[in-house]
This record gives sequence, C-alpha cells and structure tokens, in this order.
Amino acid sequence: MVMAEGTAVLRRNRPGTKAQDFYNWPDESFEEMDSTLAVQQYIQQNIRTDCSNIDRILEPPEGQDEGVWKYEHLRQFCLELNGLAVKLQCPAIDYTRHTLDGAACLLNSNKYFPSRFVQLFIFHYLVNRTFFFGSFEKQGNYFNTGIILLNETFLCHRFTKFVMKYNLMSKDNLIVPLLDEEVQNSSARESEA
Amino acid sequence: MEDHPAVAGMAASPRPQVGGPGQSPAQGVPSSEPGCELSARPMQYTIPGILHYIQHEWARFEMERAHWEVERAELQARIAFLQGERKGQENLKKDLVRRIKMLEYALKQERAKYHKLKYGTELNQGEMKMPAFDSEEPKDSEIPAGPQNSQLTWKQGRQLLRQYLQEVGYTDTILDVRSQRVRSLLGLSGPEPNGSVETKNLEQILNGGDSSSLKQKGQENKRNSGDVLDTFNFLEDDSDGEDEGDIIEEVTDGKDKQRINKKHKIGNEGLAAELTEDTEAVLKEFDFLVTAEDGEGAGEARSSGDGTEWGVNRTKLHDMIADLGDEDLSHIPPGILSPARSPTRITDHEGGRAEEAEPISFPSGSGKSFIMGSEDVLESVLGLGDLADLTVNNDSDYSYDMPSNKDAFRKTWNPKYTLRSHFDGVRALAFHPVEPVLVTASEDHTLKLWNLQKTVPAKKSASLDVEPIYTFRAHIGPVLSLVVSSNGEHCYSGGLDATIQWWKMPSPNVDPYDTYDPSVLAGTFVGHTDAVWGLSHSGTRESLLSCSADGTVRLWSPPESKPCVGTYNGNKEHGIPTSVDFIGCDPAHAVASFTSGCIVVYDLETSQSLLQLSSPTDSSVPFNGHINKVVSHPTLPVTIAAYEDRHIKFFDNKSGKTIHSMVAHLDAVTSLAVDPNGIYLMSGSHDCSIRLWNLDSKTCVQEITAHRKKLDESIYDVAFHPSKAFIASAGADALAKVFV
Repeated sequence: MVMAEGTAVLRRNRPGTKAQDFYNWPDESFEEMDSTLAVQQYIQQNIRTDCSNIDRILEPPEGQDEGVWKYEHLRQFCLELNGLAVKLQCPAIDYTRHTLDGAACLLNSNKYFPSRFVQLFIFHYLVNRTFFFGSFEKQGNYFNTGIILLNETFLCHRFTKFVMKYNLMSKDNLIVPLLDEEVQNSSARESEA
Repeated sequence: MEDHPAVAGMAASPRPQVGGPGQSPAQGVPSSEPGCELSARPMQYTIPGILHYIQHEWARFEMERAHWEVERAELQARIAFLQGERKGQENLKKDLVRRIKMLEYALKQERAKYHKLKYGTELNQGEMKMPAFDSEEPKDSEIPAGPQNSQLTWKQGRQLLRQYLQEVGYTDTILDVRSQRVRSLLGLSGPEPNGSVETKNLEQILNGGDSSSLKQKGQENKRNSGDVLDTFNFLEDDSDGEDEGDIIEEVTDGKDKQRINKKHKIGNEGLAAELTEDTEAVLKEFDFLVTAEDGEGAGEARSSGDGTEWGVNRTKLHDMIADLGDEDLSHIPPGILSPARSPTRITDHEGGRAEEAEPISFPSGSGKSFIMGSEDVLESVLGLGDLADLTVNNDSDYSYDMPSNKDAFRKTWNPKYTLRSHFDGVRALAFHPVEPVLVTASEDHTLKLWNLQKTVPAKKSASLDVEPIYTFRAHIGPVLSLVVSSNGEHCYSGGLDATIQWWKMPSPNVDPYDTYDPSVLAGTFVGHTDAVWGLSHSGTRESLLSCSADGTVRLWSPPESKPCVGTYNGNKEHGIPTSVDFIGCDPAHAVASFTSGCIVVYDLETSQSLLQLSSPTDSSVPFNGHINKVVSHPTLPVTIAAYEDRHIKFFDNKSGKTIHSMVAHLDAVTSLAVDPNGIYLMSGSHDCSIRLWNLDSKTCVQEITAHRKKLDESIYDVAFHPSKAFIASAGADALAKVFV
C-alpha cells in the first residue's frame, strides 16, 4: 500500500521525529480523510494551521453531523486543558484535575457516547463543568498565568465562541474572561439572525 | 353416514306397501348367510319376514361398517403413529445435524486458529459463521395437521358409531367393550366432561412455559405415566409457534389417556399391571430404537429423516403398535423419548434456545451415544450430504505437523478490557511487573494508570471497560514514550517537550478523585533538547536509557543529583535514534536503532559502539529502512527490529549477522514486545493489527485486529505483562486494549 501510493504523503509521526516536525505535513481536505476519526483530525489540523482562526476551526465541514462536531470539539477542549492544568499550580488543582478526569471518563464512556454521538443532556453538563473550571482559573491566584496561557492558544476565545455558536450556555453565566468585542460581535450576529 | 338410520327406516316402511314379491333382497345378498337362509324358502314373503330380513341386513351392514370403521381407525392410528415416528426422526436428525454443524464450526475455527498460528494468515475456507438453527420448519406445521383433523373425525365417527350400535341393539356392555378396544387402539377417548379442567391446566402450563410447575406436575403423575409427562416436557421445549396447538391437543389426549389408565387401575388391577408392563416394554423398545448402536436399521432410520423410506423398522413398528395398546405414544416421537428422560436434557435445551448461537453441549445419557459412543452411527450420520466434507480430511489436516500443535494451541488471546479515557492517540503503554495494572501515555499530554481489577460494566458484554485510577500530568505536549521500572515502584515518561518525567507509581487502589499529591512526580530529567522517543529501564543497573530526536542516547541514574551519566551518539554519527533497549542477557550493553537503518550495540561503560548490526540503507526512498522499534531478547543474544518497510529482522548480537528477516505486516511495523519467557514475539503495525509470533519457528500464531486508524497511523505500542497472562496494545484511536 505504501509503495503503491508512491509519492503520497504518509501522515505519520515516526519515532525520531523532531518536535518541530511533529504533525508537520501538508493539510488534507476533510473529504480526503477516510479514517473513522476524520472529525478529530480535521479539527486538530485547523488548530495546528492557525489556532487564532477560530471561525475556521469552529466551522463544521459540509454535511457534518452537529452532535459529533460538538462532541469532538469538547474533546479537543479537554485535551488542550490537560496541557493547561500542568502549568497551573493554583489552589484549584484538585478541582481542575478531577473535573478533567471526570470529563475524560464521561466523554470516553461508550455508555453515554455510543459511537461518539452526543447526548444533549450530558453535553450541557460537561460544558458547564468545563466552564466552571475556567471560572476557577480566573479567581485563582495564578489568574494571570491562566489568562496568558488561554490567550496563547486562543483556547478561551474559541471556547466562548463555541459556546455562543451552539447556544450551550446563557451569556450571563459565562464568567470566562470575554473580550468585549466578541460579545458584541456575537450579539450582533444573534440580532441579525 | 348420518342419514342412514332415517333412510333405513323409510326403506323399511314402503316395502310392505309395494307388496309384490321383491327379488331385490335375494339379488342383493346372494352369497351371504341370511340370503342363503331366505333363498331356501323363496316364496314365503311375509311383512314380518321382510322386515326381519331388512333389519338383519341392516344390522349386518352396520356391523360391517363398524368393522371398517374400526379398521380405518386402526389404520389411521398407525398412520398417526408413523407420522409421529417420522417427526421424531426428523427432530432427531435436526438435532444431530445441528450438533454436527456445531462440531463442524468448532473444527473450522480450530483449523483457522491453527492455520493462523502456523502461517500467520487467515485461512480462507469460505464463509465461516455460526450455524443458524431455525427451529421452526415449515414442514412441522404440515405434519401434525393430519392427525389433528383425523382426531376430530374420529370423535365424530365414534359418536355416530355408538348411535348406530345402540339402534341396532348392541348392549351397553358390548358397546363398552368395543369402545374400550377402539380406545385402546387409538389411545383416544370420547369427550368427557371433567377432562377440560386438567387439560386447561396443562395448556396453561405449556403456554406459559413454566417448566418448574410442569416438572412438578410431571412428578405428581410420574407413578402413572412419568415417562409420558417427561416426553411432554421435552415437547414443550421442542415445539413452538404453530406446533404448540398440536402439542396441546396431544397432551389433552395424553391426559385423557392417563385418566383412562387410572380407571383401569381402579376397575381392574390385573389390567393395570399389564398396562404398566406394557408401558415399560414399549419404552424399552424405544430405548432400543434410540440407543441401538449396532442396529443398522436404527442408523438408517435416522438418516432417512425425510420420511421417504419407511421400510426400516416396519415389522418392529407393527409389533409396537400392538404393544402400544394403552400407551398413547402415537404422536410422541420415540426418538426424543429417551433423551427426554434424563433431567439434564431439559435444561440443555432451554439453554440452547435461549442463546441459539451458543454451542450446545451434548446431552447426557443415551443421546451421547449417538456421537461419542458409536463410530458406525456417527459415520452413517456424517454420510449426510451437507456434512460429507468434514470427516475424512481431518486426519490429513492434523497429521502433517502434530508436534507443534501443542505449542501453537497453547493460548489464544481475546480482547477483554478496553481502556478509553484518552483524548488522543495512545503512544505507549507498560505493565506493572506484578499487579494487573498498566500505565498508558498519550498525545493528550497525560499518562493514565489503570487497574484491570476495577472495571466498569461495558455496553457489550464481550469486553470490559476500565476507567483510569490516576492521571499523570506534567508533560507539556504529547507523551511519546514510557517505561515502568522492574520493581514497579516508578515509571518514566518521555515527551515531545524533551523532558523525561520520573513518577512514583500510585497504589493500585488509589482513589481517582483523591487530593492531588505532588510527590507522585518524583523528578524531571532535563538534558535532551528534542522529543524523547524511546526509554528503557534496567532493574539490575537501576538506570534508564533514553533516546531523543536531538540525536543522542542518554543513560540516566535516577537517584543521583546529576542523573545523566552517559551520552551516546552525540555527534549524530549514526543518525537520529528511534528506539533503545538494554540487552537482556548483558545489561552493561544496550542496543539502539536509528532512522538511517543502523542498529548499534553500545558498551555503556566505555560509551563505545561495539557492533553495528544493520547498516544504513539506501536513503533515496524516504523512510526506507527506517527502524521504528528495537528490542532485545530477554535471555538470548538476539536483537529484534521493526521496520517501516513492513519487515521484522532478527540479529545475532555476537556475530552481528541477520538471523532472519520477514515481511511481518501489511504496513509499517511500529512496535515489538517479547514475552518474559522469550518464546513469543508480539508486533504491532499501522495495518491495525497486532501479531503474535513463535520466536522459535518465526511463524505467526495469532493475529488480532485491534485499533482504528487516525491519519495514517494505527498501533503505537504493544506489551506483555511480565508475570500475568495479559497483553496490551495502544492505538492512535485513543484506546488501549488488553487481551487475555
């Protein structure tokens, strides 16, 4: 198979790959992704390409089931929050860890998410938990570090937009630091709609 | 038929009015006795005489009719019996075919397994699926239809008959005797008012399928007709759908029969005794029929389940019809009679019905003798068309390599636990040396600890889900490599962030939501400047080897303040290392594989490269000769390497020569593990499968498709448990799986 494809790029991180080359390969269109984990691949690819381009990251490919799309995004949030939790040594570390562990178990449970299909109720639960995690960060002593980290990866922006886009939480409940323009933008979009 | 009395009456009255010398009587019965009597006095026609004659004739006709009726009933009884017999044979055949199919299936599986173990490839032997048993055959509904109808007509007919006979002047006693005889022949009885209660009762039980109460019932009645009841038990199991109605019908008759039996008992002790004897004798006959091993006829009867050959035991059956007398077995397939008597049989069947795909165990008792006891019978059964292929080639199949069979069949690994909690590909995994505990390292920046004894019931019963009991967080970025120390107290992980984290293993019983204990992270080794791709730990040396994309292989001695005690390949003379391992039989040496295709043995003390096992390959094709993993045999001086180009190669550490080279997978081989005894090798590949190899014969003994693909990657790591019967695989699909 490898040989037959000849020049085709094999998207692999082989042992010995340098950190800078990790996942460093030409983008693949969503249609070309034939694996069963295409949605995750696609999201990760877009994040790697430009993590500030939140609109593109959040824009589902045509015909994509919204439930799966949201679910995969939530997985991705939790994945990236894993990295965040390492750097945060704030008092809420237990809460952070447990929330993430719980979310991980829940998101991976095939009882609640058979074939990665999102059940709305649990989804909302998770969003809220993740969100509160964010709010803890804000109140913690290491608030600044948290915000910097969040801004580094545009995770916070993405999360806010994500939540807004799919109306997963009311705006009032969002304590995660929002940029004012974002709120305005989204309200403008909402009023347009 | 019903008109006859009336017609006779009408015929009798006009005759005198005609008055003339009627010749018709004489013509009608030239040869009969009454006719002869009359013809002696041809001229003396008197009204009373004619009337007497007609009455006489009428009585004679009725007698004859009754006789025919009885004969007909007898014949019908025989037909019903034979049909029952046939049905029984069919059931028997079905049962046998089913068992044979199960055996066939098991054999195929066995063969496939063996083939896989031996050659490493799937044996293509056509579709191999569980034989499906449809217990309802359309035929079934047809066969009993006859008896049911005839039963109705019998009842009507009997009723009529009784009327006729009464009219003709048969006394009640004669009538009783006759009807007794008829009944005894047919095993039936006329409608009796109180029969309905019991019938209903039984009907209920049968419909409800409450076998316990049925059994109870059966015990109650055992003294009288335990066997019959047992048979009904069996029937209950064996029948369903449309059949049920018929069975109930039969049961009804059977119950009535029992009551008759009881009556007999009360009325006539001798007869009752006779009956019991008869019953036993008959049942013995059936036993013989079923268990006969030498009986060619029996074998034939079984194989001719389609009902076209009836010459088999005809005489025997004739005899039995006579013997049957008071035993209503006309509808009960004799073939199933004796198996039904063993109590285990019932449960066997229930089990079989509950899960039809489940292999059905051989029923105990006589049933077993079909298959286990008698070669002859087995062969005659196997002679059936659709089964012809499974006997003979067996021997040739098994004979060609008997010695290795034992070895090859020793263990088949089956998926047992699914470890799902990672958000991204699981790059590495390692078992605890003693406990059923393992650690996984993932691209989601975390490591997780799993206790296989703490499982969560999964959606599908086949495998269990395990939830992690601890999550290690320290790496910033994907975790790529992992090793657990040989005493199980520590583990080390290498990440894309160029660090090696040194962890204290939490207790296997740790509460996953316990408060954070910072001491779990025992230390961080900083030294590498790029992703750490390979780790190896030596218990005897208390040291750790790592290799990194920065080109170096480093030796660490964890407790020391400056843990890095050695650096190898500092000038990238061999390229970028991909994997390292201590050499099993000499921990003073280590082996490292490189992206260039080199495999180098280092002396850790002198930091010298002792031997180059594999030379760099032509680098014009990207990743040609790229080695993904290198492992050292635990006891022999053998090094095994997994190549991107689908090969696994074996090298002699002494001579540096290639011992063996094989195309092992359909895609890049990514991971290797040798079992603690050094007998089996396990390999994982991006072709989604893991394979087990016999290191001695270099043959594949099992292949398991374990993971899905993400991008072009599938399986990252495989591992043997050092002391327990577990193997595990880690995949790009964010899952780890454990096989037992």
